[in-house]
Amino acid sequence: MKYAFFPGCVLKGAAAEAYTSMQKVCEKIGIELVEIENWTCCGASHAQGVNDLAALAVNARNISIAEHMGLPIMTVCNTCTLQLRTAKHRLDSDEKLKEKVNGILKEAGHPYQYQGTSEITHFLWVLDKHSELLKDKVTRPLSDLKVAGYYGCHILRPQEIMDYEDGKHPQSLERLIKTLGAKSVEFSAKRKCCGFHAQLAAERDVLTVTGQIVDSADKAQADVIVTPCPLCQMQLDMYEPEGREAVHSRAEVPILHLQQLVGFALGMSKKDVGFDRHVSAQEKLKLD
Amino acid sequence: MDVTLKVHRFVEDRKWVQEYKVPVTVGMTVLEALINIKEKQDPTLLFTCSCRSSICGACAVRVNGNAELSCEILVENLLKRYNTDTLEIEPLGNFRVIRDLIVDWDPKYARLKKIKPAMEPKAEFSPETGCKQSPEEFNKYKKYAGCILCGSCVSECNKNALNEKDFLDPFVFVKAEKLVADSRDRDPKAHLQAVQDAGLWRCFNCQECTAKCPKGLDPAGAIEKLKEATFRMRLSQDVGGKHAKAIYDDISDSGMLDESKLNIKSEGFIMAGLRLPMALRLMNVGKMNPLESHPVNPEINTIRAIVKTAEKETE
Repeated sequence: MKYAFFPGCVLKGAAAEAYTSMQKVCEKIGIELVEIENWTCCGASHAQGVNDLAALAVNARNISIAEHMGLPIMTVCNTCTLQLRTAKHRLDSDEKLKEKVNGILKEAGHPYQYQGTSEITHFLWVLDKHSELLKDKVTRPLSDLKVAGYYGCHILRPQEIMDYEDGKHPQSLERLIKTLGAKSVEFSAKRKCCGFHAQLAAERDVLTVTGQIVDSADKAQADVIVTPCPLCQMQLDMYEPEGREAVHSRAEVPILHLQQLVGFALGMSKKDVGFDRHVSAQEKLKLD
Repeated sequence: MDVTLKVHRFVEDRKWVQEYKVPVTVGMTVLEALINIKEKQDPTLLFTCSCRSSICGACAVRVNGNAELSCEILVENLLKRYNTDTLEIEPLGNFRVIRDLIVDWDPKYARLKKIKPAMEPKAEFSPETGCKQSPEEFNKYKKYAGCILCGSCVSECNKNALNEKDFLDPFVFVKAEKLVADSRDRDPKAHLQAVQDAGLWRCFNCQECTAKCPKGLDPAGAIEKLKEATFRMRLSQDVGGKHAKAIYDDISDSGMLDESKLNIKSEGFIMAGLRLPMALRLMNVGKMNPLESHPVNPEINTIRAIVKTAEKETE
């Protein structure tokens, strides 16, 4: 199994542990990742609010490079997945727009045209769809671990674009948690948005919801929260102390990237998956 | 087979959840189930409905936490989706509840008025000649004219749930984009400025509104179009707009977000300086390294040319 990998900016920056753990986990389960050469930022859910056509053309370029590689694209970031899939959806369903964007790529000297030949998927969906990838590889069943699965928004919505599963009642993350031998825990704030994209513009509200999500998982007796989105992970992990303060909570819960939890189940150590780069609740995660 | 409906009741400050069992028939909607309860079991249960054809928008409720038009969503499909024989019915979220499933629209209409929600025709139009526009001009906003004011879009809005005072409801943004994009309007900037002042950039981009709109109007997309218009019409930007611009500019500067400078570009040196404790927290675990140089994409000239060419196309 081979994918053109679109890491996205934060995996090369503040969430570098998400990048290294992704590489290690994929190597162990037999997924070959070939990074898209000279990819650019997907627009981080903001660029289209400045100039929509430019944001679309930039993603058409990203996708066209993967198409030239002859590979489907995989990401491990909800927002990157949404941005790339939105671009693909729009270009595939509007021939005139595709022509216009391909004209821009050509005029700018980009060597490839957008064709629409590469599918775009997320690591969670690949693991859920291909359960054989983890079969017989779980060497450390996480049977004592209660896990709160936190999807984040952009892997579920809008349904028209992110149509892997029913966004009003998703189950893929719960299935994966169970496959890894852990117990999936329901918590009341599971479907709240972490607010990452409005951290600066609506800071007080975002810190409140950060606190609500962590507190809710804690009240449901979760040992960890796991998320398929590095942006949600950063928001909940980095701002956990401020979130606690905002909602007057004492909750301290480790926030894991999806691939870190998989790595633990495959027998990797905390250091292997970069858990030492986490801000919150490092001492709370006890693994043999 | 029966469905159990757990209905959230609210009568004169008293709240409780009441269970009803209703026999499920093929093609039965949630509204028909509620009507069955009212006619055969409990005449005190109150809810609103009118057209029963997904047109009037009066019957939206929450089913298992998701806003739905009760006259169009089938009970059998919901039981299949949630793999259950029980559904939880609540009034729409982010509304004041009047009684049972009936919510108060008056405060919402008051918020709608903030954006000057009526088209004021340009001076060139008259009662004699009308307000003509081309099909292309009409197509720019016709989608947004399909809003039926059902309130589904705001029910699970994450920003509204936390604080609605410095934000608007998604259907208000839809209405605003309809006016801003209407070539007949005398002063689109006035609507746009009002929207920006009322919290445009505070949207969380959670996409709940788009996921819940029964008419497929994409309120989150309307919000993005309004944001884009604030740049096109050269409105002055607050921190939200500056943050979006900083991210956009990073694509042309290096191809990648420069996390260490995003806050400075978005908030300015003084506000960013106040975030020093957070920066130290991140440096402590290796998430930030001010000495590390930010890489520049080897194809940056092509990337800049793509952005510039697209900008020229939209001028």
